[in-house]
Amino acid sequence: MSLMSALDHQHTVAPPGYSRWLIPPAALSVHLCIGQAYATSVYKNSLIAHFDASQTAIGVIFSIAIVMLGLSAALGGTWVESNGPRKAMFVSASFWGAGFLVGALGIATGQLWLVYLGYGFLGGIGLGIGYISPVSTLIKWFPDRPGLATGLAIMGFGGGAMLASPLSRQLLSLYDSGYDPANSASVASGGALVGLFVTLGVGYFAIMMFGVVNVRVPAPGWRPAGFDPGTVAAKPLVTTANVSAANAIRTRSFWLLWIVLFCNVTAGIGILEQASPMIQDFFRDGGTSSVTIAAAGGFVGLLSLFNMAGRFAWSSTSDIIGRRPIYMVYLGVGMVLYALLALVGSTATALFVLLACVILSFYGGGFATVPAYLRDLFGTYQVGAIHGRLLTAWSAAGIAGPLIINGFLDAQGRPGTLTASAYRPALFTMVGVLAIGFAANLLIRPVPDRFHEPARPADAPVPDATAPDAPLPDATDGKRSDTRNTAAATAAEATGTERSTTR
Amino acid sequence: MTGQPNGQSGRLWISWLLVAALLGYGVVQTVITAAKLFTG
Repeated sequence: MSLMSALDHQHTVAPPGYSRWLIPPAALSVHLCIGQAYATSVYKNSLIAHFDASQTAIGVIFSIAIVMLGLSAALGGTWVESNGPRKAMFVSASFWGAGFLVGALGIATGQLWLVYLGYGFLGGIGLGIGYISPVSTLIKWFPDRPGLATGLAIMGFGGGAMLASPLSRQLLSLYDSGYDPANSASVASGGALVGLFVTLGVGYFAIMMFGVVNVRVPAPGWRPAGFDPGTVAAKPLVTTANVSAANAIRTRSFWLLWIVLFCNVTAGIGILEQASPMIQDFFRDGGTSSVTIAAAGGFVGLLSLFNMAGRFAWSSTSDIIGRRPIYMVYLGVGMVLYALLALVGSTATALFVLLACVILSFYGGGFATVPAYLRDLFGTYQVGAIHGRLLTAWSAAGIAGPLIINGFLDAQGRPGTLTASAYRPALFTMVGVLAIGFAANLLIRPVPDRFHEPARPADAPVPDATAPDAPLPDATDGKRSDTRNTAAATAAEATGTERSTTR
Repeated sequence: MTGQPNGQSGRLWISWLLVAALLGYGVVQTVITAAKLFTG
């Protein structure tokens, strides 16, 4: 069997007894690697010094990568669905690893355009394909707990930055003895940057291949033992029908959810962008801040932890309380927290930190819960492709969030002279942004029948019953469930799976 | 993780240990940095 054939969707179908608990670590191994994208600031100063370029010229590398993430996720989503997660993860690993190697070549030869092409363009494609590659598969393996499953994977994206930042510093100090990993202003040599990029490229490719080897799609008609789709479908806004990606973007609910994600991300980025100077400005008295630069760095680290933890905790909670209620919490409670931050955030450091951390946990939760929300509204058929299209909201928020906060702050004064009151207009604007998202969430309705894929008869073979499901990795839950579940749900699931194998 | 067919129990352990080690390293390093908020 050739390599490309082994990667095909039909050769990725899990054999009977395959444990579904192998899928989350496969997904995590991809997301932990591509999460590096948020750790580029570690070597930004070194790149500026090496190329003797401006901040903007180096910042363009990251911008190209994020634009390519959005484009490849939106345009490549249908390809990911039809070719399956294994080929998608392999393509992602290849682009991501090659991006670092081409970038290393650019650094070694002093050609900045090669870094744009490598890390920016090629790496950005790896980012987008990698981000959506495991989502659809996880949802199909965990129809009973989609929020938990996608929360685990997308938590890895947040964790990837936390992994890459200290690892990059330590690698740079290994390759350049003059580099001080404890000093954020320290600059590494070009040779050390080349070594870093080659090490990350090869290392990330190897780790992502671990996911390629382990990932499988469930057999048509498979569902966890003891799982009754009727119990899920009985919840509000949850469908057992399926909607194609092409039809999904014609629905009102898709665009309302786009607005929800856009508003949630815009508000969160507003704090993330300014975290370090913000805490210093909030506690500035007479030109001097009581919060040191080191403490501000600690605050940024704490926000990263809450951002990551929120992805898993809130997304898992959504399996219990429902997708719309959890977004009402993200957006509604978020409005209150932002208002409190603006009004009383400067009264005590602990209060400021607490409010910001909860807000960032909602930001992460919003990212992680949205694939399950899409599954509820549009079914499993092309949920990965629909998710890819929805991620354009992330790209748009990545532009809008910093524009809003920086626009207000520029009007208030120069950096280093601002105080808490300077942030109030921006924070109250974010309250308004969240209010729009809250209203959009309330307006989301089930997708009309005319957008549903035609249902097939319940003719898909469903294997015999086996051992009961259990929530721990040692459970025999890779086995197939019994035939007592509803025929309609079986048909919907089977139709979605079969169609995705033939396109 | 016993009783898994086709030697899956070993694969399960290795898979989860790998991601736990990667994630754990990141979390510990970030906690060390975050501690500076209270000591810095």
